[in-house]
Amino acid sequence: MTALIGGVLLAAGVALFILEPVFSGRSAAFYGGDDDFDEGAARRRVALTALRDLEYDRATGKLDEADYDALKLELSREALMHLGPDQDSGKGVETEAIRVARQLEDEIAQIRRAIREGMQCASCGHVNAIGARFCGHCGKRLATGAGAAAAASDGGAS
Amino acid sequence: MTVLGEVALWIALPVALWGTVVSFVGGRFRRSDLVLSGERTVYMLTLLLLVVSAGIIAAFLGNHYEYSYVANYSNRELDTYFKVSGLWAGQRGSLVFWTLLLSVFASIAVFQNRRRNREFMPYVSGTLLGLLSFLLVVLLFADVNPFERLGFTPVNGRGLNPQLQNYWMTIHPPTLYLGFTAFAVPFAFAVSALLTNRLDSRWIAITRRWILLSWFFLTNGIIFGMRWAYEELGWGGYWFWDPVENASLLPWLTATAFLHSIQIQENRGMLKVWNMGLVVTTFLLTIFATFLTRSGLIESVHSFAENLRIAYIFLGFMGGMAALSAVLIVYRLPSLRSENQFQSFLSRESAFLFNNFLLVGVTFAVAWGTLFPLITEGFFGETRNVGPPYFNSVNIPIGLMLLALMGIGPVIAWRRASRRNLLKNFTVPVLAAAGALGALAVIGVRHSMALATFTIAVFVMTIVITEFWKGTRARARIAGEGMWSALVSLVRRNRRRWGGYIVHAGVVIVFTGLAGAAFDVRMEQELAPGEAMSVRSALGTEYRLVYESLSHSRPRVAEGERENDWRWTALLTVYRDGDRVGILRPERRFYPVMEQQSTEVGIASTAFEDLYVIPKEVDLESGSERVTFEAKALPLVPWIWYGGLMVTVGALIGLWPAARVAAPAAARRRSRPGPLPAAAAG
Repeated sequence: MTALIGGVLLAAGVALFILEPVFSGRSAAFYGGDDDFDEGAARRRVALTALRDLEYDRATGKLDEADYDALKLELSREALMHLGPDQDSGKGVETEAIRVARQLEDEIAQIRRAIREGMQCASCGHVNAIGARFCGHCGKRLATGAGAAAAASDGGAS
Repeated sequence: MTVLGEVALWIALPVALWGTVVSFVGGRFRRSDLVLSGERTVYMLTLLLLVVSAGIIAAFLGNHYEYSYVANYSNRELDTYFKVSGLWAGQRGSLVFWTLLLSVFASIAVFQNRRRNREFMPYVSGTLLGLLSFLLVVLLFADVNPFERLGFTPVNGRGLNPQLQNYWMTIHPPTLYLGFTAFAVPFAFAVSALLTNRLDSRWIAITRRWILLSWFFLTNGIIFGMRWAYEELGWGGYWFWDPVENASLLPWLTATAFLHSIQIQENRGMLKVWNMGLVVTTFLLTIFATFLTRSGLIESVHSFAENLRIAYIFLGFMGGMAALSAVLIVYRLPSLRSENQFQSFLSRESAFLFNNFLLVGVTFAVAWGTLFPLITEGFFGETRNVGPPYFNSVNIPIGLMLLALMGIGPVIAWRRASRRNLLKNFTVPVLAAAGALGALAVIGVRHSMALATFTIAVFVMTIVITEFWKGTRARARIAGEGMWSALVSLVRRNRRRWGGYIVHAGVVIVFTGLAGAAFDVRMEQELAPGEAMSVRSALGTEYRLVYESLSHSRPRVAEGERENDWRWTALLTVYRDGDRVGILRPERRFYPVMEQQSTEVGIASTAFEDLYVIPKEVDLESGSERVTFEAKALPLVPWIWYGGLMVTVGALIGLWPAARVAAPAAARRRSRPGPLPAAAAG
């Protein structure tokens, strides 16, 4: 008997809860939300991530200069293609996607700077793998990357 | 409580049907009140199914044998622990449990997206509620109602199959079911994407973590299952290509393929139709696995016993879902066009594609072998089974190719790889592998498949370790960090990639462990107390087992109850290379209620091998203490579990939610946020 009363109460409670929106007109949103998805921004993020990985691949010596240049060109074009009109519209609110894209850009800039300042040989211009102490081309001693990068970080990314 | 559970089951069906209808109608006609009502339905179903499950567990704990399900899977003497797991011990309870987990995941998905991705949600909740409705219809009307009464109350139940009385058995099925049911969420999003024609990369971005979650549970479920088989079935193996095991492997294979192929879609906008197909296939395979496991379809071809009705219902449902999905995909083909083309055979894309072909190939091979008895039955009227030789001969070579791809994929360049790229990255690993091959050949390893496995394993491991090393070093140089913090920030910045590499390393270790089976050594001997036997493992360890005694125990029970089991425990002292390392207590058990025997093996592990002792023949009646023991030295088996753990860790790294960079107030004022503290100031 108690079980039956429990069952009736359960059924009534459930029915009330799920039918309430229909009677009260309370409704759920159809659109949007705080981080509305933007296809362009997503593409851009993918391209930037690939570009970032490309920089790492070059830095670790997985890719040589010719391959790097070709891929960089393609990826940069993709990233630019999806640079949406709202990217710098000054709306005041930054979406998650844009924030991530900016972080990636900063990171790419950071790697490039480190390579330029640390890994590129000052005397012959050859770009060495990260971690190299001596130039792979002319054999001269390289400025240490860590010091150069630290200097770069202090300079800020803007 | 149990009656309330039964009532809740009846309430659940109309509720689920209501939810399905209002979600789809609300989505189609933009009635947001109906959509909200549908979403609330999802939550309420979870509540109702919790009540249903509690009802079943209460029936088990209260020994209510008037319910046929309880009477068939429990008895008074069973441990409380196993009574609770009675919820998933049999087909009926399993279905309830499956439905409960599905509703829990549905609730999480709806809650997660209560303010995001709203366009998708009506159809997502509609699809999930539709599935739940189907399961509830099955539960109530297909002779599998867990609350069905016998019409009389037996004094005691028939008890739980002894092989299921093992703690892995309380963990393994729920883990697997979590994996199966979690995949319904990506499927629902895929259907929703097709229905709403929003076929950009969004649905993939939303569901990626769900897919990984499902994969994580499936992987662990399968490994736990292997562990259970190894410890409980008592023959020293962990995988027999049995239909039920295969059924759990199938969705794992296609889910793995999907995890890889979505990367091509994300990076290159290709393979959209293929990916849709994989999601649908994986989902259908999770359903297939569930019903195959519990319907007895494959076994029943031998006996024509069980009710095949549920098998036909599920097959019909799967066929219907497959047809509907196919129609939707074809209808949306124009939106699923590829944005790019493959540029070169030598590229990461084609490595991924090849990986997909291989995984799907294994899926077909396993499915074919699993269904072979049914196929021969249907066409030739005679049941034929293909055994492990078939599965091994087909799957080991493909598995090895997949293993090699795990090394090739990560270092080959996207789009097109130049010869220089290949030379630069493969020289060292190939040399390392060749060195390993030479060394193994010199020490006398002749088993070809094992040689191949070890060689490829070295190749892949060299690549993975080099990747970590180079990446960390580069990061340390670029950011001016120490090695440890560089490693951490490297992984954190691209969790999927580095988590994936850890998974690969784990899989390599698992494969190495599996290949160890080529070197199993076994020895069988009848011993009297005081006598000893020796076995020499392939790794050169000399084990000596001294049989000390046999003891017989019957647990104390309250008056009027019977013992669940009688135990004969052998006591053996183990010497490894002459040193006494411990005692093993393998057992023979007799379950009077089920009138069955079972074996509890004794396992002595080192980091490299297991000594596995089976009391093969024990005279349970005459009181003789002579016992026939089988001792097996199984090299590398522990590596399967270590590798499995590593896979778990890697998957967790990939799953871990990215630390949301809290946007500082400054960022909202359009200043530039970034990973560098100096940036905000500048």
